[in-house]
Amino acid sequence: MSDFNHTLAFSVPFETARQAQIAQRALDPDPILKPSELSVEYSTEDTFLKIDFKGRSDRVIRVAANNVLENLKTVVECMDEFEGQKDVCI
Amino acid sequence: MVQLDLHAKPGKDYYLSIGLEGSANKLGVGIIRHPLGNLTPTNKAEVLANIRDTYITPPGEGFLPRDTARHHRNWVVRLIKRALHESGIRGTQVDVICFTQGPGMGAPLQSVVVAARTLSQMWEIPLVGVNHCVGHIEMGREITDSQNPVVLYVSGGNTQVIAYSRQRYRIFGETLDIAIGNCLDRFARTLKISNNPSPGYNIEQLAKKGKNFVDLPYTVKGMDLSMSGILEYIDNLANDLFKGKKNKILMASSGQITVEDLCFSLQESLFAMLVEITERAMAHVNSNQVLIVGGVGSNVRLQEMMAIMVKDRNGSIYATDERFCIDNGIMIAHAGLLAYRMGQVTELKGSVCSQRFRTDEVFVEWRD
Repeated sequence: MSDFNHTLAFSVPFETARQAQIAQRALDPDPILKPSELSVEYSTEDTFLKIDFKGRSDRVIRVAANNVLENLKTVVECMDEFEGQKDVCI
Repeated sequence: MVQLDLHAKPGKDYYLSIGLEGSANKLGVGIIRHPLGNLTPTNKAEVLANIRDTYITPPGEGFLPRDTARHHRNWVVRLIKRALHESGIRGTQVDVICFTQGPGMGAPLQSVVVAARTLSQMWEIPLVGVNHCVGHIEMGREITDSQNPVVLYVSGGNTQVIAYSRQRYRIFGETLDIAIGNCLDRFARTLKISNNPSPGYNIEQLAKKGKNFVDLPYTVKGMDLSMSGILEYIDNLANDLFKGKKNKILMASSGQITVEDLCFSLQESLFAMLVEITERAMAHVNSNQVLIVGGVGSNVRLQEMMAIMVKDRNGSIYATDERFCIDNGIMIAHAGLLAYRMGQVTELKGSVCSQRFRTDEVFVEWRD
């Protein structure tokens, strides 16, 4: 897709590599609604979650990036509340 | 007889399931416990927590996908926390985390599944995606102990008459356009009445004060029904009423037709149509039980009208109250746990939600 000439890259730090992987796998399954206009790739590097947006316009990237950040907030809140709490009465 | 305990954990005499529901404007988290063995009236599922938070919009406004998703994101983790707290259980006791996979609004569904995926990975508990309609049906059956009823599923997004046959819930009749709850909700918007606790509830209260019946179109199409035309018709009547336009239909012998009369007439017409197709489905499948599920199922007048028909057929009617009728997490926990007990799990890659997910797509492995 050579006409994806707009890009944006996020690098999100987590406390552990496992957290970064969990975040990746929580976000990764959902398909991109318009694959002809945008691609989003998730990967991890040590404790970092890397998100690469490539799209036809900065507009589609902005919308997608906003959405990813919203979802990421849920993931992080979930980790804050429940990580290591499996054997605890909450 | 179906074997429900082939996947039981050794040394444990129960299963625990967490259910997350967010397909429309209700966000629900439920925790249910199943004892080992088949579920019977003496070996029942136990509700440990059933919490709901509803996104309520101002009068005259419906809920939009984006805003609803924001509401769910805002609350989902807090609701899970509260449900865990109320039930007093630990994560180590939980067998499965269930989420609504569809049908419903895309963005709200997606906002909830993200939490399910995260928790599932952190606590290493499998996921099960649940069909929302099947959730309603299974919860209704469990609460009411009805064996093999014809199911009338009526809510804001769905209107279906369903009967079970050979491990599928088969759709005998359904709406051809909008759902009955959508019809009521949108009329409530025209009237600019409150959406709290729900538009349908407020229409029901107004309808109780209605005295004059206004003839509305009656649109049963074989086993299906259509409601958009009725909505347009009654919307026009209401607008004429508000503008003070002269309209013969708005004159009753006792004087001017009121908003209460319109609510009453709308309910009577719509519910009569539902009763008709439900009765025909009962005759088709030779059943004399009716189970009403879905948010509109909490309408007492609908239950009453259905009861009159069922009584004529010497049958029985089963309905639940708002805790289980209106969208909730417990039904997702329950239906998902039934699937889990048959060995079904949903991999992360397969956990994508879908706005369209028909009731009859689900393989009902847990029933004979």
